[in-house]
Amino acid sequence: MALSRRKALRGAAGTFILASASPIALAADKVYHIGITLPLTGADAEAAHLILHGAQLAIKLANQSGELGDIRLEPMILNNATATAGQYDPAQAATNARKLAGTRTVLANVGPEMSGSGKAMAPILSMANLATITPSSTAPDITNPAYAGEFDPGGKPIYFRTVTTDAYQGPNMANFYAEVLKVKSVYILDDSGAYGVGLANAFEAQAKKKGIKVLGRDRLDPKAADYSAVLTKIAATKTASLYYGGTMQAGVKLVKQSYQIIPHVIKGGGDGILSPEMMTAAGFPAAEGWYGTNASPHVVDDPKLANWVKLYTKTYGVAPDDYAITAYDAALVAIAGIKAVQKAGKPLTAANVRDAIATVHVNGLQGPISFDKYGDMTSHIVAVFQFHQDKSAPLGDLNKQMRYVGVAPQH
Amino acid sequence: MTGMAVFLQQLVNGLSLGAMYALLALGFTLVYGILELINFAHFNVFMVGAFVGLIVLQWFGLQGQAVVLHGAPLVLSLLAALAVTMVTSGVLGVAIERYTLRPMRNVRGPMAMITTIGVSYILFNVVLLLTNAQALNYPDPMPSIDYHLGGVTIRLKAVIIWIVAAVLMWGLNLFVRRSRLGKAMRAVAQDAEAARMMGVEVDQVVMIAFFAGSALAGAAGMIFGLYYNFTQYSIGYTAGLRAFTAAVLGGIGNVPGAMVGGLLIGLIETIGSQYIAAKWADVIIFSILILTLVFRPAGLLGAQAPNRS
Amino acid sequence: MKRLALLSPRQRQALFAALLMVLLLLPFLGIGQANIDVAANSCAYAALALGLNIVVGFTGLLDLGYAAFFAIGAYAYGILNSFQLHPHWSAAWAPLAAIGFVAKLGAGAAATVHFTFPFWLMLPASAVIAACFGMAFGAPTLRLKGDYLAIVTLGFGEIVPIVARNWSSLTNGAEGLNGVGPPVLFGYRFGINATPYYYVGLGLVLLLLFISLRLKPSRIGRAWMAVREDEIAASAMGVHTTRLKLLAFAMGAGFAGMTGTFYIAKLQTATPDMFDLPVSIMVLVMIVLGGLASVWGAILGAVLLELLQAWFLPALSGWVQGLGNAIHSPFLQNLELTSASELIFGIILVTMMLYRRDGLVPVGRNEVRLSYEQQDAAVSRGAAPAVARLRAGLAEATADARPAALEIRDLTVKFGGLTALKSVSLDVPPGSIVAVIGPNGSGKSTLFNSITGLVKPSAGVVRFAGRDLLGLRPDQVLRAGVARTFQNIRLFPNLTVMENVLIGQHTHLSSGAAGAVLGLPRVRAEEREAREFVLELLAMFGNRLVPRIDQGVAQLSYANRRRVEIARALASRPRLLMLDEPTAGMNPAESLELAEQIAAFRDFGLTVLLVEHKLDVVTRLADNVIVLDHGEKLAEGRADEVRRNEAVIEAYIGRGVVDA
Repeated sequence: MALSRRKALRGAAGTFILASASPIALAADKVYHIGITLPLTGADAEAAHLILHGAQLAIKLANQSGELGDIRLEPMILNNATATAGQYDPAQAATNARKLAGTRTVLANVGPEMSGSGKAMAPILSMANLATITPSSTAPDITNPAYAGEFDPGGKPIYFRTVTTDAYQGPNMANFYAEVLKVKSVYILDDSGAYGVGLANAFEAQAKKKGIKVLGRDRLDPKAADYSAVLTKIAATKTASLYYGGTMQAGVKLVKQSYQIIPHVIKGGGDGILSPEMMTAAGFPAAEGWYGTNASPHVVDDPKLANWVKLYTKTYGVAPDDYAITAYDAALVAIAGIKAVQKAGKPLTAANVRDAIATVHVNGLQGPISFDKYGDMTSHIVAVFQFHQDKSAPLGDLNKQMRYVGVAPQH
Repeated sequence: MTGMAVFLQQLVNGLSLGAMYALLALGFTLVYGILELINFAHFNVFMVGAFVGLIVLQWFGLQGQAVVLHGAPLVLSLLAALAVTMVTSGVLGVAIERYTLRPMRNVRGPMAMITTIGVSYILFNVVLLLTNAQALNYPDPMPSIDYHLGGVTIRLKAVIIWIVAAVLMWGLNLFVRRSRLGKAMRAVAQDAEAARMMGVEVDQVVMIAFFAGSALAGAAGMIFGLYYNFTQYSIGYTAGLRAFTAAVLGGIGNVPGAMVGGLLIGLIETIGSQYIAAKWADVIIFSILILTLVFRPAGLLGAQAPNRS
Repeated sequence: MKRLALLSPRQRQALFAALLMVLLLLPFLGIGQANIDVAANSCAYAALALGLNIVVGFTGLLDLGYAAFFAIGAYAYGILNSFQLHPHWSAAWAPLAAIGFVAKLGAGAAATVHFTFPFWLMLPASAVIAACFGMAFGAPTLRLKGDYLAIVTLGFGEIVPIVARNWSSLTNGAEGLNGVGPPVLFGYRFGINATPYYYVGLGLVLLLLFISLRLKPSRIGRAWMAVREDEIAASAMGVHTTRLKLLAFAMGAGFAGMTGTFYIAKLQTATPDMFDLPVSIMVLVMIVLGGLASVWGAILGAVLLELLQAWFLPALSGWVQGLGNAIHSPFLQNLELTSASELIFGIILVTMMLYRRDGLVPVGRNEVRLSYEQQDAAVSRGAAPAVARLRAGLAEATADARPAALEIRDLTVKFGGLTALKSVSLDVPPGSIVAVIGPNGSGKSTLFNSITGLVKPSAGVVRFAGRDLLGLRPDQVLRAGVARTFQNIRLFPNLTVMENVLIGQHTHLSSGAAGAVLGLPRVRAEEREAREFVLELLAMFGNRLVPRIDQGVAQLSYANRRRVEIARALASRPRLLMLDEPTAGMNPAESLELAEQIAAFRDFGLTVLLVEHKLDVVTRLADNVIVLDHGEKLAEGRADEVRRNEAVIEAYIGRGVVDA
């Protein structure tokens, strides 16, 4: 054990030395921090890194442009995942939230990615009046005024989103199924996870309202390998369509096996299936034809953003996805809040920045962004995509292997 | 589909699942019979086997679902991959026994089992880190021919799996019953001391049991990959618990028992999912495990539960 | 760690006091809220490790599903103090509202009940609830042997989170409980500040530590360790193994339940994912690292693993990434070592098991340094008067009970097709010494095992002091006054001489877990007397064992181990002492010495039944000799008669050789 203590001390010393030796030396600028809390290891790591780079890019550009005056912003990157959980860990997220709340130079936070972390972080951030802007957490409960006592004990909203919630993602897709795909029946599956269950529930409620017959609702075990039993059951119902709320852990197997057992059923899911794993693990032809949604408008292919996409790809070596864009926008919101406080001449504290963010209007990559009084984005656009193999593009390039279909009907 | 057709279809599904669980349970029960040791690492050897198979098949140029073979190239490439997988897994199993379990052979209590948990964790996490927790697409060189019998769909793949599993199981049974080494294994299972006194090289026998069991696990892994067309670091875990229940249900240490248990669990899983609900499948299977151990520890075909405390 | 053991008790106490000071002042040392949070989490894990240590370390029950009880405690509090359950308000709820267990939410007809069971009440309540689940689960399963038990607990550990996930109406399923209320102390509502939670956690650990430390050297703790070391011997010494296993299991469950409530109150949310298998395994790794059965080791293991995950690995990652930035290596720049912690756990398990099974804080302090004089001293025999207690105890037992006569009629034992004993009948009159002899395989040990309840006969009657012994458990047989030793010595290997013999007194001591924890004067007096009795018993063997009182029995010579076993049997104050080959492995001088001592037993009223091979010992001791061959009684009579019996000689030597 003495060995590891020595090693750790060396490590701490080394980090300190190297940090000081880094090119961005400690200048005369005052340094403030924007927290970035994401599950950087485990099951969601790949997606989390795309989000991370989106936020980092915004901060970097803001520093370079000189619009921040005499201060400099640095990201404070904290990992919300633990190895024991194998993915995001609410306890770790809470610890990170405490760290943010306890660091005076942290003015705002970008994150979390997953709503499970959000639920743990929200009360802590609320008491500290520290705003967080999430690019991808879609569980509606956190900003629902009915649960304000649990998630917002401080009284002022701190959970802002540059993405819309499952309160819209699920139901808008149901609208899409009813009005665009014109299906008469659906069978709904979830992956027993917090996100998937919530999304599937929201879809189910709206589907029933739109007159689609819900022929059944079942649950997949993400750890199991064989869904043939459930799929055979679904086949027997002769359903016209299938909706899956959940992530790719169960999704990979579902996509492959449903291709075998219910090939002619129309299939769709939420943003959980909009992942490179659709191609690399599930693969074509199984993934062909699956619909998916994103809780934000689809802009990554917008020619107006081509330069931005090029810059991102060049800086980080990987192509951005739609959540990288919402992350960039989230960081923009934070930066805009900080600038507003500077302009008003008030001291740079987390509380002041929060107040500024609540009333901010930002022109983000996805368009104009502003928040309602609970912290949700005022725009509720849900984009629909369909997977379609493009043999000329690399298999893992999500943007090339799926087609943008349009905006899901919203009511 | 009519009610009967649905039932039959689930039966077919269950048999395919069951064949795989049976293979996995067999290897596990072999080791338990000899050492009275629950080897948790067995199920991650299965997982490693799936990845080895993937690597070999990809080396042959079979990528994803794009390449389909027929006839001789199909059979030869599959056999070659299976052979490599089985040998690699067997060697892995022997290494585990030799370096981590043999020193524990005379230690009482739960220590040896804890060691296998550790080895299992190591295998699991090494693969997790190497693959970044992502699932990988498995080559699918078999033509997708389906046979339809009265509303029930049987895939060619399923048939091939049944055949391979049956051949392997029959081979193992033959080996255990007829060959000298097999007899030696059964002797050691009954009474290691006596066997040693009769001139049986116990260490060698244990190694062979581990090799055979692990090779079967590796084969089951490759079969898994070919059947489900994917592999991931986590496949050992769920398949493992089910195969484990199968071994216990059939009678732990009992070779035919493992086969029967495997098929039964496969059927229970599919029929249970159909008529109860998929979300309770795990609970049903674990309850079977617990109830079997409490009320009939010898399992369905087992003779008598070992008395060693 | 060895250096620690060499410190005097005073120095150790001072060290502990200093450590406690540091821990109490930790939040004021300026380490930051996040680190206090980590410290509070470490307290939770330390508490879990202490609980699992009782189950795995003390009692040897491998529990792979420990997190299930953690979950049960968490959800118990979570459900009773959150918005999850909201039945309609009615007047019936008013009394509960008056004492603060529920609150009325909303008004008028739409009013619902908000459960607000207080944290401080739920702490012990969850312990009880989890313990009940532990007992319900353990009752049918704890009699399974070790590996089966592990599997069954694994299954249970899997089922609980699945039920939590599927039973949405009760637990809100996968989305987890929302709005779990924090603790309220005298009106002060714990907020998001981690410091009060840290103190609660610290208090929890100190409480559980105290309980563990008190239990370990107590009668219950010894009995647990006896069960772990050798269940058969423990049972033969009067330990009701199933009940003790259940107690250990329930207690471990209770610790986990209490910790679950604490953890959830701090997090204010609970999801089923928080209680999966990796959590159970992590706690197991903690106690393996620290040292199975070591109380301090459990805490050390928990702290080390938490520090590993929360501080060491992230710091190392940061350093490696900094290095990567400096040398422009993208591989190093992106290396995240925190995801390797599970791999490290596996490596810890394997390396500890292979190279340091005792863990970092080994329990053994079994190396007693005898002085040169002690080692070199001529062996001496002790005087018999020291066993006055034994004599008095026997007199008391005999006073109003039937005479200590052993009657066996037509005892038949079959193992499958083999008949080990065929219609054997014999009598052991009170106060006599009867020897059973016979060639190997004649059924002598089977006879012993049948009498003491280890083997179930298929026919026959065994009566002692008028009481029917057949069908009794071994510990019940001991309580009836019959104690035994084993042919191949079954001592508790990792325990000391003193502890081994103390366990013999299990049935004569009465302190339970509660008494031990509270340290009642009655319990302390009992322990003192028990130890004195042990010393008296061992004095019978002179200076052979008394200087070695605190030595692990595994290091004693074969003859000394035999003596300890006999002392242990005597410690149970039996009326009938059954010795299975007591002089095996002793040289002629030692054998005769022991024979004299056994003869002396008869002087204070003990009845002895022994199996022996050495004819001179038999001749010296036995009033009556019974010869068994192939499970049947071949002959009976005085020693010299039996020696000359032709059938007996044939049985030993073979047909055709007759010697006078």
